[in-house]
Amino acid sequence: MNTKLRVSEISKIYPGCVANDEISLEFGSGKIYALLGENGAGKSTLVKILSGVVRPDKGEVFLNDKSIKLNSPLDAKKNNIGMVFQHFNLFETLSVFENLSIDSDKKDEDLRLSVNNILKKYNFKIDLDIPVLNLSAGQKQKVEIIRCLIRNPKVLIMDEPTSVLTEQETEDLFVSLKQFSDEGILIIYITHKLKEVLSLCDEVAVMRKGKVVSVSKTKEEKIETLANKMVGENLNSIKKKINNFKYSEEILKISNLNFRSDDPYETNLINLNFSLKKGECLGIAGISGNGQSELFQILSGEIITDYTSIKFRDKEISKLNPRERREYLMAFSPEDRISQAAVPELKIYENVALNNFKSSNFFEKGLVNEKKIKEHSKKILSNFSVNTDNVEMKSQFLSGGNLQKLIIGRELITSPELLVCFNPTWGLDVGAINYIHETLININEQGKSSILISTDNDELLKLSDRICVIYKGKLSKIMYVNEVTPEKLGILMGGGSID
Amino acid sequence: MSFDLNFIGILIGAIMASSVPLILAASGELITERSGVLNLGVEGMMIIGAISGFALMVVTDNLFLAVIGSMISGLIISIIFGVLTQSLLTNHVATGLALTIFGIGMSAMIGKNFVGIPGKEFPLLFINLKENIPFLGPILFGHSVILYFAFLLPFLTNYFLKKTKIGLIIRAVGDSPTSASNQGINVTLVRYSCILYGGAMCGLAGAYLSLIYTPQWIENMTGGRGWIALALVVFATWSPIKVLIGALIFGGITILQLHMQAVGLRIPVQLLSALPYIMTVIVLVVISRDSRKIKLNTPTSLGQIFYKEK
Repeated sequence: MNTKLRVSEISKIYPGCVANDEISLEFGSGKIYALLGENGAGKSTLVKILSGVVRPDKGEVFLNDKSIKLNSPLDAKKNNIGMVFQHFNLFETLSVFENLSIDSDKKDEDLRLSVNNILKKYNFKIDLDIPVLNLSAGQKQKVEIIRCLIRNPKVLIMDEPTSVLTEQETEDLFVSLKQFSDEGILIIYITHKLKEVLSLCDEVAVMRKGKVVSVSKTKEEKIETLANKMVGENLNSIKKKINNFKYSEEILKISNLNFRSDDPYETNLINLNFSLKKGECLGIAGISGNGQSELFQILSGEIITDYTSIKFRDKEISKLNPRERREYLMAFSPEDRISQAAVPELKIYENVALNNFKSSNFFEKGLVNEKKIKEHSKKILSNFSVNTDNVEMKSQFLSGGNLQKLIIGRELITSPELLVCFNPTWGLDVGAINYIHETLININEQGKSSILISTDNDELLKLSDRICVIYKGKLSKIMYVNEVTPEKLGILMGGGSID
Repeated sequence: MSFDLNFIGILIGAIMASSVPLILAASGELITERSGVLNLGVEGMMIIGAISGFALMVVTDNLFLAVIGSMISGLIISIIFGVLTQSLLTNHVATGLALTIFGIGMSAMIGKNFVGIPGKEFPLLFINLKENIPFLGPILFGHSVILYFAFLLPFLTNYFLKKTKIGLIIRAVGDSPTSASNQGINVTLVRYSCILYGGAMCGLAGAYLSLIYTPQWIENMTGGRGWIALALVVFATWSPIKVLIGALIFGGITILQLHMQAVGLRIPVQLLSALPYIMTVIVLVVISRDSRKIKLNTPTSLGQIFYKEK
């Protein structure tokens, strides 16, 4: 039972953007295909066309050499094409079983039987009678997969499936996908994560700006070659000059930082002490949920704690709120771009004004000086190569990378002495990550300091001068980056100790 | 003693009769809202139902035609709402409010020539049993067929939503129209159907008022019952059975406080008149405290405009 899927000269044009430009690709069963590209490269449009959600302006799809019409999601289902969207298409308030039965023609008893068979076969553990909103992201994805499997799919399309999964869930998913592939299901795997392509897929097609720029076997590729194809230019590998800062002046000193919370979902911080020199980057590693977000909020002034001393440029600032700390030339880039750093419904220039309430230029006699704010915003957009010059655009329409550039730009344009950032490249594509990394190295070279709280060890090793690990609210000893290896970090992150 | 018991029976019968329009309109609106559509035009659709039912009765002298006609006119009015919100993607709240204002004005215009005309007697079922059985007789018998239908309706609605495929599809559309559309469900068709059904039930509720409850045409005779029905749906957290309970409490306290006013208790009349509203809210809030259940019953996409990607 061999399946062959071919798309031929598919084009889709949206106002102001060519999402798919004459795409032609061929897939055969028994293999896992990666569709790789940055955000906005046109991958999602192509899979929406394959699943019947969006109609192409031009082009044809062939299944086993027969031209098929995909005018609606029903057509895709009829042709045994299954699709797991990045944003789940589940009904949160309905039970798992109701979610599965809604598009099934089977009787309830028969459906339950076949669902139970699938659960057993692939070792999925899901209670069918609880509402979907009680499931974890990984379980929700399994429900989506089961929904496809019920229909005996020939083709299974996964759109950025790991963006919401934990590492363990990702591993489980890969095991299942390989199993499906061995059973003859053709799998198309959409991602911008290079490591996943290499570890999971057999062949890879790279898309850029709506076009397919390369098709190759993954065996012949390396992370660097794929990254270059994806971004379309040679990414200069960034290297930081090593400096031990022995004779530099101390800019920040934290002593006796303790934090106790009644909220069971927060982590207590226990006696943290560290200091930072001028021009230095301190990296804080750790598995998420070990006190990073509490530490960030204490540094930014969102949480004020008793008895903690935070000395910044010889002033005690531990009781100041975030706005007052900004006036002392501290800057902050929180973890969650959408809910903490920016207001998605507001326009770009309004978001720029938000953390500059005190700037005398922006507000006069209680009125907003839009012209000044817009000029200032334009400067940020061009200085930090955000991919638009339209300051009237709502921030929610910026891609993750562009939004992060805007947020970091908004902070850095006031030339702060210290930038605290928390997972600044989480979920971004290679080009944006590279840009943010360059920016962070630049500020150190200009003699400004930074604290980088991150769950990405590669990033920490690349950018930090010194590194420590946070585990269950305690900090490990602080090491110079040339003494640290990924293995040592791994041991410390798991709660072990090293000598 | 038997006289007292019989009096209580008659009182309960009256309470049931007064809650019928609320049950009908709220059950219809509940289906509409479960599909994610917020139609604030209940009052307008009810009053159009009331006048067209009464006018048809006068013109044709046929009560059956009058009842069917009132449902059709409620349905036609709701088509306006459907076209505006589902095809032209207007805001649900504004469109619903406009529908109510339109309905009240329109009914007053049509109704001008029907003021003061006496209604026709509506056939009541099992009159003999009502008079011969003390207490239970006036409760269970001697009502119009619409009342029996109204009291069955919440249970039918509950079964329909929970146990049938179409009910499941309606709940799914109300939860996430985008997901439903991606699953191949025709969201616009489902929402149109629910809007039309809601319109027909509101029309029937209006006809009950002008043909049975107070058989005559008075301008503005729905008197805010449409708004009460809307509030019942929300406070009953979209559960049909709780709508029934809420409607009975509201009807019950309305009747009781009238008796209390008549007896001449030394409680301010304004307070007594406000009592049905206050008590209904309190009782429904108390019986719907379970926040998990509220979350499961609330149509997540309520009032959101849905448009399909092309």
